[in-house]
Amino acid sequence: MNTPLETRIVRALNAIVGPDHVVTDPERLVVYESDGLTSYRVIPLAVVLPATTEEVAAVVKLLHGEGIPVVPRGAGTGLSGGALPSADGVVVGTARMNRILEIDSDNRIARLQPGVVNAHLTVAAKPYSLYYAPDPSSQSTCTLGGNVAENSGGPHCLKYGVTQRYVTGLTVVLPSGEVIRLGGAGRSARGALDLVGLFVGSEGCFGIATEIEVKLLPVTEGVRTLLGIFETMEAAGHAVTAIISEGLLPAAVEIVDNATIRAVEASVYAGGFPVDAGAALVIEFDGTEAGLDADADRAEACCRQAGASEVKRATEATQRAALWNGRKKAFGAMGRIAPDLLVQDATVPRTRLPEVLARITEIGERYELKVANVFHAGDGNLHPNILFDRNDPDELDRVERASKEIMCLCVEVGGTITGEHGVGVDKRGYMQLVLGEVEIEAMRAVKRIFDPSGLFNPGKVLPDPASPPVPAEASA
Amino acid sequence: MPSVTHTASVATAALAGAVEAQKERLLPCVHCGFCLPACPTYTRLGNEADSPRGRLHLMKAVVEGRLDAGSEAFRTHIDRCLGCRACEPVCPSGVEYGTLLELARHTATSKVPPGWLTRGLLAVMASPFLRGALFLGGRVLRVTGLAALGAKLVPALGPLRNARLGLAMLAATSPWRPPGRTSGSAAAQPMVPAGSRPTVAVLVGCVQEGLYSRVNDATIRTLVANGFEVVPVAGQDCCGALHAHGGDLERARSLARRNLDVFTAAGVELVVVNTAGCGAAMKDYDALLEDDEAYAERAKDFAARVRDATEILAEVGPRPGAPIQTSVAYDHPCHLLHAQRIEQAPLDVLAAVPELDVRVIANASECCGGAGIYGLTHPDLGGRIGGDKVRSVRAAGADAACTPNPGCMMQIGAGLRLEGAREGVVHPVELLDESYRRAGFYNGADG
Amino acid sequence: MSVVTSLGDVLPAEALSGAEGGALARVARGAEAVVRPRSPEEVVDAVRWASANGVGVLPVGTGGRTTPARGDGPFMVLAMDRLSGLEIYEPADVTLTAKAGTPLADIEATLAEHRQWLPFDPPQVSSRTLGGLVATGESGPVATAYGELRNHVLGATVVCGDGRVLRLGGRVVKNVAGFDLLRPLVGSRGRLGVVTSVCLRAFPVPAKDRVLLLRSDDFAGLEAAARAVRTAPTLPASVVLWVRPTSQGAALLVRLHGAELTVDADQATLERRAGVSFARADSELVAEVRDDATDAPVVVTLSVLPSRLFEALGAARDLLGHSSVVADAYSGTARIALAEVDTDTVRALRDTIEEMGGALAVEAPDEGPEVRAAGSRPSDAETGVSTRLQEVFDPSGVFWPCRA
Repeated sequence: MNTPLETRIVRALNAIVGPDHVVTDPERLVVYESDGLTSYRVIPLAVVLPATTEEVAAVVKLLHGEGIPVVPRGAGTGLSGGALPSADGVVVGTARMNRILEIDSDNRIARLQPGVVNAHLTVAAKPYSLYYAPDPSSQSTCTLGGNVAENSGGPHCLKYGVTQRYVTGLTVVLPSGEVIRLGGAGRSARGALDLVGLFVGSEGCFGIATEIEVKLLPVTEGVRTLLGIFETMEAAGHAVTAIISEGLLPAAVEIVDNATIRAVEASVYAGGFPVDAGAALVIEFDGTEAGLDADADRAEACCRQAGASEVKRATEATQRAALWNGRKKAFGAMGRIAPDLLVQDATVPRTRLPEVLARITEIGERYELKVANVFHAGDGNLHPNILFDRNDPDELDRVERASKEIMCLCVEVGGTITGEHGVGVDKRGYMQLVLGEVEIEAMRAVKRIFDPSGLFNPGKVLPDPASPPVPAEASA
Repeated sequence: MPSVTHTASVATAALAGAVEAQKERLLPCVHCGFCLPACPTYTRLGNEADSPRGRLHLMKAVVEGRLDAGSEAFRTHIDRCLGCRACEPVCPSGVEYGTLLELARHTATSKVPPGWLTRGLLAVMASPFLRGALFLGGRVLRVTGLAALGAKLVPALGPLRNARLGLAMLAATSPWRPPGRTSGSAAAQPMVPAGSRPTVAVLVGCVQEGLYSRVNDATIRTLVANGFEVVPVAGQDCCGALHAHGGDLERARSLARRNLDVFTAAGVELVVVNTAGCGAAMKDYDALLEDDEAYAERAKDFAARVRDATEILAEVGPRPGAPIQTSVAYDHPCHLLHAQRIEQAPLDVLAAVPELDVRVIANASECCGGAGIYGLTHPDLGGRIGGDKVRSVRAAGADAACTPNPGCMMQIGAGLRLEGAREGVVHPVELLDESYRRAGFYNGADG
Repeated sequence: MSVVTSLGDVLPAEALSGAEGGALARVARGAEAVVRPRSPEEVVDAVRWASANGVGVLPVGTGGRTTPARGDGPFMVLAMDRLSGLEIYEPADVTLTAKAGTPLADIEATLAEHRQWLPFDPPQVSSRTLGGLVATGESGPVATAYGELRNHVLGATVVCGDGRVLRLGGRVVKNVAGFDLLRPLVGSRGRLGVVTSVCLRAFPVPAKDRVLLLRSDDFAGLEAAARAVRTAPTLPASVVLWVRPTSQGAALLVRLHGAELTVDADQATLERRAGVSFARADSELVAEVRDDATDAPVVVTLSVLPSRLFEALGAARDLLGHSSVVADAYSGTARIALAEVDTDTVRALRDTIEEMGGALAVEAPDEGPEVRAAGSRPSDAETGVSTRLQEVFDPSGVFWPCRA
């Protein structure tokens, strides 16, 4: 249906990156039709896999000159369709740019290529007793380039903050193919606007970061991980509020509900969550060994006051690892309990958690849908996951309506439509819930600064009523 | 919305049933991508079609009728998989990738037969006579030193490079003797009364029998020394792993049925396998034969009785032998670690050898690139992956590489040899056996 | 005073009172008018009027940290001090929203009632306004443990140069809905717009705030101690080097936050690593150091990688002579107070610092523009993007007076 890429252009791409790293055969391109959000499928004209900044720049410049849209892609694990290809565009993937260029342990910074897997950076920093703090649940596979694009969070960003806090410098290939450097550790006194901060979270719409400089933190001496067991999600929500109000600063506070517990416990990542619990809280404190027990005691008291039936402590590293593995692999494990999964992502003020959880339960019941909750409670960052089967058109319709109702609820209580997964294609339709036309127009204008011809990751983030995205199931 | 509907018409009608029938196994994949960094081909090529998620997506596309199973794209990427199954332990949804891969290969090869090398090797392995002849020739080349010489002389590039690799692999099957000699000092250990433990049979295997019969002997001796009664089982055949991995499921099933029959008839409690690949295949006989009404139930029972040699020895806590003062660089075979999820047992076996310095190499959980006949069918990529493994082995600075799978032993051994490295290659059970020999456990007994 | 007359058509007289001495008077020197709006609407009216009449706007909090206007043409001072007060504060959310002119001292007092605080300690933090803090983007050295101000600004309402009002971000701690226009706004020094309301994340007050002090004349010894502290496995709240111009020598101040047990253990760790034993200091010294080296005719700010801070300070001393220095040893930034400076010296120091991969800025209100211009510049690419960003926020260039 699409005119294939002209041979001349394919040849030019081959010349830049080598023919092994250019995919143009539609049968092979199938594997790139989705990212982590499979409800959208679009097959691109080509996928190009450059290995260096220079190659990225040459590829982007060539495509820009030809007026061909570019969609950047990291590991393709995003959950908002941010790396969904354009049918008339080329995907530029960073999978081969996976080298850690430098770990400067004295200054606690690392320089790396965008295709480096998040967790691999921490492994590489370990000999220096350093680590990279943002730990999205997909950290074992997602890449730093993707983290920069999405401003990724993770359980421990409650205490340590999200990606933005750690990125100090970027080399960026602009949509024109021009290479620019933004920021850089040690250069704050030059008095520039925080363009690194602007770029982080731009969801691949401003260019491709081809070199990333990040801050590392010292590995903490001690850690205490608590598992609080509750009969209801609301009770667990109250415990979260109590812990935060108590003035504690946990590294992470995560909630998993019964449906999630059951899925996780059935998987290879069984973490030791009791399968009949209504909800479980994973609470973690880290830092200097001395004093951690006192914090853990106070958190335990908060849990008990909120009605916890049991509060356990992971006394060994293996138990802790098992709990976290169970928590972080929960999304994948949902594949066991339903054919399809709608992963939601919204943030509400922390004090509104119990109320919001109760209302989400009510919405799920009203639409006769199974909702599995697993989320970053300490941040108020919800992930109500709706389980369904897309082959049931009536159910699909109910999923969409329930999902929208949950979004509206979160906004109504003072929250927002995405806390960490990004807008991508999936949330474009919700943007007007939180932003007015004047803000959206300002964002369009900022996008034009980087991408005047509008060729970079088109159709993402900003609503564009002219060409609404088409979910796969709608077109099937 | 664009799609690849142009392939659908070709594929739908002709699609052989294997993958189609297994689509329930495909559904749990939610495309989360957690498998990507675990995949040796993806981490080297960067192309998602060469990742587990990508291959599963291709399989789905075949099932959905969007892609022809005989297409060059499908065959290439399915074929390029090492089958190391490193993606399985990291999959939150529990996708049975190994089984799906075999089905996909079956589907692909039933549309377009594989290359002559693959077909030839599979045919030879399925025939006791042919493989006997092949391995006899191999042993002659090995003993005469022609294999080692050839590996040295044949140029690394050009039409004969496969032959060079083959010769090096052959040469690498030569035994490695750890330094030191019999001490006889460990005899104070209490003997485990003969036959006090279950009656077992040992899979003799094809390559194992042909080139590593010493490992089979060592397995039997160490089992006996630990109180197992080992019953010889005649009529057993190749386990069929190579055939299943190659997509020749019919031959694999027929071999499985034969083995099932003879081992069952022998009345042993457990079947011991010293080859990780064979053990993994035999533990999967239930999946392989699940649609065979006559065998499905028996296969389930049989699969549950299969043990890796290190697994069964570690279970009883092998009695320590005499010290061996040497160091080994240990590497996990994929079909032990990923397919059978056995990580600690071989290390426990090695721990029964006093003073042995065991160093688990960096990236020990990654495939060595041997993967059956992968090194021969994909010399470039297999060579890259193998080269990385050899580097890790050498970085450990040990006297020998140690891994409980003949395919890996040959691959790593060939890589070391071609680099002119001095490290030998040894199976953990061989070391335990040597330790027992030095301890005098076999004095006065056979073997 | 025709300007004021016509401004009077759009704003009530109460919004147009003049500057009554102090910092505001300093920055109002030469201004056509001082506008002190009492509502966001009045801010919009004033900016719209300025935009329509070709008058520049210099937004000011208290005026204490504002560089006076430079350039030609008429301008007005937009003093935000009357736009004051908390809007939303839910202690259990540990976030607060307040009007831009709210004095930080007021916010601190309210937060303290709930044992919360804002972990920012730039010079004279208590006498700043919330909007002023956001405009300068200065976090102070406790960013070591808490992260920088820009990471904790959750939302803001901004009046753009053409009177558009942008509501950016929100009031939740995680929010990725749309491009992050807040980030360049924080620290933009009024170049993009006037902030009328800000939502910030607050933090629980640590049980203990211990200040460790190491006084010494031995610069090399201090460097070794600073290195031991900043590369220690425990992250202090801040590591500050304080150099006095006279013979009083220098000092390292390390703040530790946490439970008593924790700070005891951290102190022991740091002392073991640094091979020193620290004295204790009180919060008054912290405040004195925090505010030192700011109230001088010339303040040179430099930034380098932390590993090269002492080398950079040595180069500065060689070129500038002995002076007061306050440096954040964890981030590698320092400010140096001087009575006067000449352009060539600044250039020489800038070149040295830039060779070390760092950057340098000069604040010298009473010196000629060439001195200020001798500081480091953003790269051409950064300047290009920044200029276009200013055009998005401020198409007619109303906020020109604060542009360097």
